[in-house]
Amino acid sequence: MLAAPITSTLAVTWRQYVVWRKLLRSSIATNVLNPILFLFAFGFGLGRFIDSMQGVSYMAFVVPGMIGYAAMFAASFETTIGAFSRFYQQRNWDAVLSTPVKLRELLFGEVLWAALKAMISAVCVLVVGWLWGGIPSLSGALIALPIVFVAALGFASYGLVATSMAQGYEFFSYFFTFWVTPMFVFCGVFFEIDRFPIYIQAISWVLPMTHLIAIIRPLTVGLPVDMAMMAFHLGYSVALTIAAFAIAFLQIRRRMFD
Amino acid sequence: MEMTSIIAARDLVKRFGSFQAVKGISFEVEQGHCIGLLGPNGAGKTTTMRMIMGLSTVSGGTLEVFDIPVGAMTRGIKSKIGLVPQESNLDSDITVSENLKVYGRYFGLAANVIGERVPRLLEFMQLHERAESRVTQLSGGMKRRLIIARALISDPELIILDEPTKGLDPQARVLIWNQLLELKRRGKTLLLTTHNMDEAQRLCDRIIIVDHGEILDEGSPRDLIDRHVLGHVFEVGKPLPAALNGKHWEHEDIGDAVLFYVRSSDDFVAGLPDSADFIQRPANLEDVFLRLTGRKLREN
Ligand SMILES: Nc1ncnc2c1ncn2[C@@H]1O[C@H](COP(=O)(O)OP(=O)(O)OP(=O)(O)O)[C@@H](O)[C@H]1O
Ligand SMILES: [Mg+2]
Repeated sequence: MLAAPITSTLAVTWRQYVVWRKLLRSSIATNVLNPILFLFAFGFGLGRFIDSMQGVSYMAFVVPGMIGYAAMFAASFETTIGAFSRFYQQRNWDAVLSTPVKLRELLFGEVLWAALKAMISAVCVLVVGWLWGGIPSLSGALIALPIVFVAALGFASYGLVATSMAQGYEFFSYFFTFWVTPMFVFCGVFFEIDRFPIYIQAISWVLPMTHLIAIIRPLTVGLPVDMAMMAFHLGYSVALTIAAFAIAFLQIRRRMFD
Repeated sequence: MEMTSIIAARDLVKRFGSFQAVKGISFEVEQGHCIGLLGPNGAGKTTTMRMIMGLSTVSGGTLEVFDIPVGAMTRGIKSKIGLVPQESNLDSDITVSENLKVYGRYFGLAANVIGERVPRLLEFMQLHERAESRVTQLSGGMKRRLIIARALISDPELIILDEPTKGLDPQARVLIWNQLLELKRRGKTLLLTTHNMDEAQRLCDRIIIVDHGEILDEGSPRDLIDRHVLGHVFEVGKPLPAALNGKHWEHEDIGDAVLFYVRSSDDFVAGLPDSADFIQRPANLEDVFLRLTGRKLREN
């Protein structure tokens, strides 16, 4: 027998899985095809004009970026639009909290599922990118995956903060415009951030995506890894994740129970 | 016989900002009884139930469920309570039986226990033929029955039902009444709200009438009728016959007519002229409800 908090958390994650099985098609369209289409655009489009970036082929440069983006997009979507509809519209959270499941277990179950979905997207991009020759080091890529998972727990938690503040679906257009899109543009997903003026780079380093890509790109490219820097990037992401989860928990508790 | 209280509320208060939805109510729910919480829209019934479930914090007073303050409710105690919420919160994209299985997992029930209970509960609520239908394909009445089945997955001792027969046709209502009475026979404790007075009268051992967050009165349906509307109601059209003026019958002016509440109909009829225009019927809980909570529509 697993401890009760774990069983409760997994029960929430399992429910998401049962529903996801039914809605497989639309889910795959959003979370897998979307990043792969971007990959095609970069590969066939931009890739033709750029011989190399940071000393590697453009595909080798952009594939780890797209892995990070795919994970970020899938996790963010799940804990914003997805979680908000369970919280607000379907009232599924009310149903769950009428059972022995506690709020923190419910929220962690949501985050865990979002991170698992993020991994499905990330792995699909990885496979396509590898077939395309964008993964010089497959062993490095496999080491990168657990790190992507940890980062995805973070992306899910940041989404949950947005959900905890949202009064309606329109609110998420701010979240996507001021959080998701900047992480696509400013974090080195498809071009290096040293091209930005220094004050924009400062913004880049606040955003967690920059830290994720700073870890995984050397891994998939097959460059030597600086352990101290890796620990720093990971530590930053984990600290931000914990802070976000705590904020989301406190706000949702206030909204639901007061 | 010594009664064990499953729920005990003392001076219970719920505030939403500066608004008091529940204004210091005290009541108990004894083991094995069915207690009805009746009141107009906005009286504070759902709010009270949500506090009992731990879904809403208590702003003042005390509230104990199974002798434990709700704020300190353990998993074990939470598993002993089943809730039928007022608004449907089923998982609409999955099937009827999946809804029950998923819900069973939240209680940490083993797969074989869930597997054994799901068909029994579907049978109990007459949904076995729809086990594999998606919830979106069910009628409103079937969804309501599924929510009741779901509340029973953990085999709870206390079942809280917020308008269980909301929107049901008479056949479905009767099915639910029978099944709720069956649960009572098995020793379950029920706390119920409804706007159907017939339902309250059939199911409840005791009724608590609330309005604007306060308890107006409580007692068995019989006692309440006896206390507030005596035994018979005469609706006498205006203008009133002269014979009724000056006599001290319990009465209430409802505009076009006056309602007289009398214990013995013979005495009352004897004093009426042959020409009097009136309707006579036995007094019921609806009369009590309207008398206590008034006839004005609750807006906002
Ligand atoms: N989350 C909330 N925030 C603010 N006010 C609320 C909230 N929930 C309920 N109220 C108010 O509290 C009062 C009691 O509401 P409640 O839902 O408990 O009524 P009820 O007796 O269940 O009514 P009904 O018969 O319509 O279901 C109402 O005035 C309602 O507007
Ligand atoms: Mg209500």
